[in-house]
Amino acid sequence: MSEWEPKIVSFLCNWCSYGAADLAGVSRMEYPPNVRVVRIPCTGRMSPKFALAALREGADAVWVSG
Amino acid sequence: MGLAKRKAAYVEYAQAVPLKYAIDADSCIFLQKGKCGACQKICPTGAVDFKQKPSTETLNVGAVILAPGFTPFDPGRFDNYQYANLPNVVTSMEFERLLSASGPTAGHVTRQSKDHGEPKKIAWFQCVGSRDQNKCDNSYCSSVCCMYAIKEAVIAKEHAGDGLECTIFYMDMRTHGKDFERFYNSAKEKGVRFVRSRVHTIDPTPDESLNVRYVGDDGQAITETFDLIVLSVGLQTNPAVVDLAKQLDVDLTASRFCATDTFAPVATSRPGIFVCGAFQGPKDIPQSVVDASAAAEAAGEILTPARNTLTKVPEKVAELNVNGERPRIGVFVCRCGINIAGVVDVPSVAEFAATLPYVEYATDNLYACSQDTQDALAQTIKEKKLNRVVVAACTPKTHEPLFQETLIAAGLNKYLFEMANIRNHDSWVHKNNPELATKKAKDLVHSAVKKVALANPLTEAELNIAQSALVVGGGISGMAAALSLSRQGYPTHIVEQEAQLGGQARNIYQTAKGEAVAEKLQELVRSVEQDGNITVHLKTKLDQVEGFVGSFKSTLAGNKGQTVIEHGVAVLATGGKALTPTEYGYGKDPRIMTSLELDRKFMANDPVLDTAECAVFIQCVGSRQPDRPYCSRVCCTHSVDSALQLKKRRPEMNVYILYRDIRTYGERELLYKKAREAGVIFIRYALDHKPTVSITGSKVTVQVTDHVLGLPVAIDADLLTLATAVLPNRDERLANFFKVPMNEDGFFVERHAKLGPSEFATDGVFLCGLAHYPKPIDESIAQGKAAASRAITLLARKKIFTSGQVASVDPMVCSSCGVCVSVCPYSAPSFIDASARMHAGKAQINAVLCKGCGLCVASCRSGAIHLKGFDNDQIFAQVAAINWD
Repeated sequence: MSEWEPKIVSFLCNWCSYGAADLAGVSRMEYPPNVRVVRIPCTGRMSPKFALAALREGADAVWVSG
Repeated sequence: MGLAKRKAAYVEYAQAVPLKYAIDADSCIFLQKGKCGACQKICPTGAVDFKQKPSTETLNVGAVILAPGFTPFDPGRFDNYQYANLPNVVTSMEFERLLSASGPTAGHVTRQSKDHGEPKKIAWFQCVGSRDQNKCDNSYCSSVCCMYAIKEAVIAKEHAGDGLECTIFYMDMRTHGKDFERFYNSAKEKGVRFVRSRVHTIDPTPDESLNVRYVGDDGQAITETFDLIVLSVGLQTNPAVVDLAKQLDVDLTASRFCATDTFAPVATSRPGIFVCGAFQGPKDIPQSVVDASAAAEAAGEILTPARNTLTKVPEKVAELNVNGERPRIGVFVCRCGINIAGVVDVPSVAEFAATLPYVEYATDNLYACSQDTQDALAQTIKEKKLNRVVVAACTPKTHEPLFQETLIAAGLNKYLFEMANIRNHDSWVHKNNPELATKKAKDLVHSAVKKVALANPLTEAELNIAQSALVVGGGISGMAAALSLSRQGYPTHIVEQEAQLGGQARNIYQTAKGEAVAEKLQELVRSVEQDGNITVHLKTKLDQVEGFVGSFKSTLAGNKGQTVIEHGVAVLATGGKALTPTEYGYGKDPRIMTSLELDRKFMANDPVLDTAECAVFIQCVGSRQPDRPYCSRVCCTHSVDSALQLKKRRPEMNVYILYRDIRTYGERELLYKKAREAGVIFIRYALDHKPTVSITGSKVTVQVTDHVLGLPVAIDADLLTLATAVLPNRDERLANFFKVPMNEDGFFVERHAKLGPSEFATDGVFLCGLAHYPKPIDESIAQGKAAASRAITLLARKKIFTSGQVASVDPMVCSSCGVCVSVCPYSAPSFIDASARMHAGKAQINAVLCKGCGLCVASCRSGAIHLKGFDNDQIFAQVAAINWD
């Protein structure tokens, strides 16, 4: 297995997944630190342009959750 | 719960409100032995005070609401289940903790014996401490256990995979709540096994598994081995609460729940004291939430004259105009004690922030949310002339409003603010990686700084709430809502399509508690008619509804033509009706009737009731079948009660109830018991073996296979009552008027199944009664009061401010394609009128209706729509700020 870890930008819905990420913290779960969360008001706000921008700026993966 | 050890300083559970530590005095070495006190020494804010003592305070109040809840039944005294001795026999409450991500096993279900193995076979035993008079004194049904057992089984399977075998041993499966029957059916499809049997004994095996002996449906004794057994414990009133009730002089029922009247479901026997939740009777979350709103309403009625007499109005600070100014950003990085600073190098994050463009000031502090830091923040905004603020701390979901208040107090628009979540999303989840966590914190702060630099002050639309209400439907629930609204001072209109008030209650003989419905209904109708604040529009329908929360304009069409009324809120109480059956020979013989038709015979004192030799009830006529997969909730209790009435009039009459599961939930179970004692015979049938009815010569004969004998039985009935399904008065037009959703069965869909049962997601529109789901009179009245209560929280504010984070259209770019109009779930976008002088035919967005979801923004192919506060350039800037090197 390689050591490579993907760099991830995640777009999380304010009402569910963002709250779930908060709860993961409250529950002291651990996950790799190479993910950056962008809060959006609803996944309805998600635009393909945001995903492309994240990849263009150096991310290896984009995660949309809501 | 004793499943895992915890320290003497502890947080009750991860979602506790407030989320603060407490000290367990029984385990604290300092409080017990006077040694240690380490927590006091180490606490940086000096929050630990060992000298605190319980104190008695006196409050002057106008009303009291009792919501003391329930205590789970303790199965320790059941020697046959050996809960106290066998580690792999747990209660359902303990199992909830095992399933919980914040529980002792982090959601991974393990056995409680020393092997901590993964169970492959789990069994649930229902009715432990409920429906039981032999081993305990709880003869009532606890209402919630069937549903929670199914939920636990499904979640356990979801977590452990299909290899996990889940079996539920039950007596009657009681999934009588909204959408519960569907959940039960889907659990069966997912492989949860349901066995109708009360297990006699548990015997441990040498490897600490459990042998279970039970009798199957065919009468054969079966022994089966399980790895873990969950006892579905019932709900009961805590003895301390029983004492409290005595002290307060509040009457209890024989089952030690708070006694209430069907027509005043949240009023205790003592005026001014109200009750809600499981102390009123065992009930689930949605019903408890309905009760809570209803109790608040009942208390509000007697407190109406005192409303707003003790309210303090905060001082308003004039907002500074920062338009056109160069951004001057202040960054405040919070240590959160050691929560953040223990992992993230907070000073280096603050130093980094100070180097970013437009940042005028950056600092770190111990607790950004503490009052002194808030004061200092406001002071710094003024001193440094900051016009944008970033707080790097915890989550905006809990703390953004607090910091925004501080901005407002310092004269800044509250939307010139951004939070970087360096605790929940960083220090708490990367505690073993401080270096990368610090790097991530810098990225998050950088993103927030770049985003806030592009923020503009936003205005919130102010909206006056018209101080009046419209109730659609004049049944029991609608009348309860109207009376509540009127008694709290709001003029209310009732629109009823029939020629009289009362709805379905006019057809019902008596309640499960034996109160005569007609008498109570008359009182209710009289109070509505005599209420000067209520206008009743009979034989009237809604013809048109315009407007939105706070300013609806509805056109009523009645006998006297059209009237237009303006109202701030609307309550939909459109009720339901009984199914007209097409099976079991209905309509072919006068001896075959529906439950409501039998009630009419009771009300009319029909002589046949005193001469009939034999009465048969068939349950679930039209309910719980593929085309109508819901339980109608009221029919079991109704038939059991009617059967008892028949037995009372004529004890020698043979009375049979043919059923699938008897669902006399809560204290209604006592009626079921009474019916069996009175000699009513209950015969169970299966959906694929429905009873058949034949009419030959002078006889109506019902054929059914007896579940005990396994043989067909023929019964000649003089009265055959069909317990028909409750149907909603499906009204698509009305749903469109108020933009509210309906489910596939035709019942309205509430805002939240558990937490918002009496309101819609659409602001200013509320629901109650049978339009929501089938329910008995007490629950209909409670929900009528609850809907009014929710409406009054809005009315009492007189005006509301909507969020500033809404979409807006640039009409110069708009191509009038209409995508935004079609995608919006809230009907906020519309076309500007074709005759308008400016931008005719272009899209516009009503800021009051917009919820700021951004769906239209992402869908707009012309790029004409912007979401204030989450605009494209802001999100691009956030993404660009991440340093991936």
